[in-house]
Amino acid sequence: MLKRLPVLMFGALLASPSAFAQDMPPTAAVCSGCHGQNGWGLANVAPMLAGLDAGYLSQQIDLFLTGKRKDPIMTAMSATVSDPAIRKQVSEYYASLPAPKVAKPEQRGDRVSFTSAAEKLAYQGDWDRNIPACATCHGPSGVGVDHFPRLAGQQEYYLAKQLNDWKQGKRSGDPLNMMSHIAVQLTTDEIKGLAGFFSTLPSGGQ
Amino acid sequence: MKTILSLLAISFASSVFAANELPDRQTELPAVKKAMDTDYLQPRSLDQVPETEFGKMVKLGYSLFVDSQQMRGEFVGNDQNCVNCHMQAGQKANAAPLWAAYSAYPAYRKKNDKVNSYAERIQGCFTYSMNGVPPTYDSEEIKALSAYSYWMMMGGLMDRHGMKGQAVPEVSAKHLQAGAKGADFPFPDKITKAFPVEDRSSLKGRGYPKLAQPEQTPSIERGSDVYSAYCSTCHSADGQGIRGNDGRSYIPPLWGASAYNWGAGMHRINTAAYFIYENMPLGKSATLTKQQAWDVAAYVNSHERPQDPRFKGDLQENRDKYHNHQGYYGQETNGKLLGKDSYPSATVDGQ
Repeated sequence: MLKRLPVLMFGALLASPSAFAQDMPPTAAVCSGCHGQNGWGLANVAPMLAGLDAGYLSQQIDLFLTGKRKDPIMTAMSATVSDPAIRKQVSEYYASLPAPKVAKPEQRGDRVSFTSAAEKLAYQGDWDRNIPACATCHGPSGVGVDHFPRLAGQQEYYLAKQLNDWKQGKRSGDPLNMMSHIAVQLTTDEIKGLAGFFSTLPSGGQ
Repeated sequence: MKTILSLLAISFASSVFAANELPDRQTELPAVKKAMDTDYLQPRSLDQVPETEFGKMVKLGYSLFVDSQQMRGEFVGNDQNCVNCHMQAGQKANAAPLWAAYSAYPAYRKKNDKVNSYAERIQGCFTYSMNGVPPTYDSEEIKALSAYSYWMMMGGLMDRHGMKGQAVPEVSAKHLQAGAKGADFPFPDKITKAFPVEDRSSLKGRGYPKLAQPEQTPSIERGSDVYSAYCSTCHSADGQGIRGNDGRSYIPPLWGASAYNWGAGMHRINTAAYFIYENMPLGKSATLTKQQAWDVAAYVNSHERPQDPRFKGDLQENRDKYHNHQGYYGQETNGKLLGKDSYPSATVDGQ
């Protein structure tokens, strides 16, 4: 596997010259099997890591190790990067990979009315249920702001699963339980709609 | 500075002001006991804003309110957006909703024996909360923000009084800027009767609900612990909020050069405590105990921030004149005299 990496990387570099901010450290190779050489994830298998905040990534590994996030594969894989130095290196590496670009991120207030219920939730929230707009913390078009993770272009299955896991109490550990507090109020249709909306941003690819 | 004064002179052509004095519009935000029912005025959905010139003004008002950073450098001097303190784009009851403020102006203030219009009150927000320089009274921005506020109030009242489905009537710019408390404000007859002038400054849900005085005097020290536990995730340990990679602020700073200044209503410990208890952490109303809200309000407001724009060089004089309320301005706190090393106010381009 390791022997093949340089070749794979060379191919990826040709296809997308700016795709690698730094060389992949050997410790990060284990992740790339599912999360991809470019860190963009794999449909129905693994989420995109590229462009997420390093601190956020590191914290997620911690949550898997402490059982606050549960996933049979990730619990096992997290153990392979549990050493603080390795965890830091791996987190920083994936954080440095570029995520698909959103040409002109949409700010709250850019649109006044919405035809899609999911987009309305994303930019205006639903305060009758104390649900703030997603973009308040996750940024314009959900491109992520600091430790508030990027949603734009994230794998659809993954976004839906996280919201459902929070809703069902299977995921915890986020600051102030902010997301579980929100997710329990979302309907199944809303979760589907939000996952669909954010995963297809940017709609035009890279 | 000259620009501000000439702008103000235009705005206040009918009133008498010392030529070098900023108007004191920062009356304490009215705090009322929280209504236990939920019979608040319900603004219409923004989908119902018409595609007319008037509707465009309402939409612009919404947009400026939610994304006030569009006006950064011109009218806004810090990282704040109006929506930071007026949740749900100024629609949410108990989060200083615009519809309740709109019907309460013009308002007479005994202190300066002056009637303030709604437009003037919004101009005050630019000077203080936004640490900027207000758009002129007749500017597109002030008209748009007034139109947005009016549209929410009127639509809500019309729905409440059996006029659902009817379009919100357009009113003149003069009325829009004045606010709806005037006896001559053009309400539909039904509403004039049901909503007399004397009721217009006390719509349920106005301002932030008042809290009783805390059992223990608000403590900066205890507040610091509350801040670490509940606020620092979003507002950062250093109170500077969070910026995106694009350099824009997404979670507002609470003190320092880019926060609200020493003249803003939020620097009052009581106003901040009411706001925090009811509205913070975001989406988790009333998470803190009341004592915690008082303590953390004290902590947040015990830091240096931009100078009170009314300051003329003598801190004690400014404190005596404008700060006879719960706040640390002009006081020594943690070994520092607050207001002495304040950051600049009115930080817009060309100042």
